[in-house]
Amino acid sequence: MRDLLLAKLALRTLGRNPRRTLLSIVGIGVGCGIVLYMVAFTRGSSEMRIRAISESGFGHARIAPATWEKTRDSDLRLVDWKRDLDIAGSMAEVEFAAPHSRTTALLAFGTCVTGVEMVGVDPNVERNISRLVRVLSEGRYLERGDEGAVVIGTAIADRLEVELDDDLFITIAGAGGEMKYAMLRIVGIVSTGSRTIDGTICHVTLAEMEHLTGYLGAGEITIVFRDPSNIDALTVRLQERLEGTDPVLSWKVVIPSQGGDMGSDTVFMNLLMGVVIVVAVLGVASAQLTAILERKREFAVLIALGMGGGRIVRLVLIEALAMGVLGAVAGLAMGFPFIYPAATSGYNFAEMMGGDFVTEGVLFDPIIYADMGMWLIPLAFAVALFSTLVAGLYPAWYALRTNPTSALSLREA
Amino acid sequence: MNTNLVDVRNVTKDFHNGKITVNALRGLDLAIHEGDFLAIVGPSGSGKTTLLNLIGALDIATSGDVHLFGHDLTALSRRERAELRLTSLGFVFQAYNLIPVLTALENVKFVLELQGIDGGRHERAMSTLEDLSLGELANRRPNEMSGGQQQRVAVARAIVSRPRLVLADEPTANLDSENSEALLRMMRELRDRHGMTFVFSTHDPLVMAHATRVVTLLDGRVASDEVKNAGEEVGSAN
Ligand SMILES: Nc1ncnc2c1ncn2[C@@H]1O[C@H](COP(=O)(O)OP(=O)(O)O)[C@@H](O)[C@H]1O
Ligand SMILES: [Mg+2]
Repeated sequence: MRDLLLAKLALRTLGRNPRRTLLSIVGIGVGCGIVLYMVAFTRGSSEMRIRAISESGFGHARIAPATWEKTRDSDLRLVDWKRDLDIAGSMAEVEFAAPHSRTTALLAFGTCVTGVEMVGVDPNVERNISRLVRVLSEGRYLERGDEGAVVIGTAIADRLEVELDDDLFITIAGAGGEMKYAMLRIVGIVSTGSRTIDGTICHVTLAEMEHLTGYLGAGEITIVFRDPSNIDALTVRLQERLEGTDPVLSWKVVIPSQGGDMGSDTVFMNLLMGVVIVVAVLGVASAQLTAILERKREFAVLIALGMGGGRIVRLVLIEALAMGVLGAVAGLAMGFPFIYPAATSGYNFAEMMGGDFVTEGVLFDPIIYADMGMWLIPLAFAVALFSTLVAGLYPAWYALRTNPTSALSLREA
Repeated sequence: MNTNLVDVRNVTKDFHNGKITVNALRGLDLAIHEGDFLAIVGPSGSGKTTLLNLIGALDIATSGDVHLFGHDLTALSRRERAELRLTSLGFVFQAYNLIPVLTALENVKFVLELQGIDGGRHERAMSTLEDLSLGELANRRPNEMSGGQQQRVAVARAIVSRPRLVLADEPTANLDSENSEALLRMMRELRDRHGMTFVFSTHDPLVMAHATRVVTLLDGRVASDEVKNAGEEVGSAN
């Protein structure tokens, strides 16, 4: 308790000009509140984006054939998909590993024809990773061991004017370059709520796909991690486990436009937060500098009495930190009324933009919720204390340089 | 020759204000002895404050030597000078002396805290105030005290750590004669009881009357140095 009086001196000094202190605290509070709101919203929307992507069947990452990233060729197959699946499945951080194989197919019924990307799946796993296949308007989803069965989206069914249990005529290009034909029975019709998505879904079992195309195995393994906040590191870890046979690509690579969007959102938000913090820092710094100029004689007396530089700096910084603590509280108090509704009712972007909320096969929630949690409290204190501490440095240095002779003479009063 | 508390030898001090140079001190010699109750007088601008600043290790001479308790002040670092001020010097300033947000007691305690004295701060500060009959002011803030009371608390703060030398720049300039008298009596008593050394700069005849020695400055030099009868007690004449 050596510096008890020092702390008292600092705190009481803040009370000496309550209006300025209050203004500074409000200033820090506003800056801090804005930052909290932006972080809450950014976190909420990026969480939402990752969830939407994952639940649209893309997962968090994908084990893909070496040349897939460049060619995006759906007929490519993994070198050893069973080994990849075993390794991924044995990793504790992996929640689901779902093998997929794809090909381009022409579906026909009567005189109606449509082209789709047909996907081969392991039905038991697929149900877990994709919410798109969970809502069936008719029939059932695929099951392991199904033969000659297909599940399609309602939009495709409408286009082809088919119903449950109708047989679709399928044309595809086989592994040898020859045309292949097959009849598949519609066992289920999926209705996701999005016409766009419902116009793309056409699932068969992996075995069916092998049988149809002649391409053996899976073309990709979609990975869902248990902790979606740590995707990049987990992707690297999985890659290490696989020892470099097939590359592991995070969703940002799989859907580059989404990755890019989120990247630029983050950069923009960080920039904005930087600007807010800089403005708050400058405001507080100038207020504190004014306060110190007014107390020049007091600092001169303190230095004349023999108060060392360390204590002078500490005195100014304690004042700054005290304002930071109050500013953090103010920031939480001011941010909460904005963050709370954003986290509970969210923002309906579909209303603003109209129509489906689908990009590149990803079905987005039309409502974006801010992320609200206890983490806001330490963040508020970190932002406010960091800002006030930085803001206090120049005033502290200025106080330190006070010439003690001005305490004796009235010259510089 | 090391018995002198302060030795000022051939000291000059120049101030540069833009293109103008002011020679505030021009080859000043002065020795201050233990137990002096010394008044430095002289017209305004003669260099009194400048001299106190140098003796008080608040400023550095342009040339010449200032020795304080045997330390060559020009050889000390900023930090060492601060340490010396803290441990061995007491200051009483003309005005704006006390820290406004601290009570009288806290102002006095503050010096002890700066010195890193942990135990018994409160008792020591309180007994110093009581010794000077300021006990009832202990919990008042400066703005709740008269100028005279503030100056007496400032003396309490200056002496609480029993420094060897107390420097006071025109301590009575803002006081009426009654308060000045009280302040001087208090300091004189401290000097008589504890053998403390006091150096004042002043215009006040009252201060000169209490002093045991009066040094007159003129144009940055000592014009006269008069040791008065050491036994002389002002006020005992009535
Ligand atoms: N910091 C300074 N800058 C410029 N000139 C100064 C400064 N301090 C003192 N002086 C000048 O030095 C001379 C002596 O000043 P000072 O010691 O304050 O005299 P006194 O205390 O006897 O009135 C004066 O001419 C004054 O103007
Ligand atoms: Mg003066």
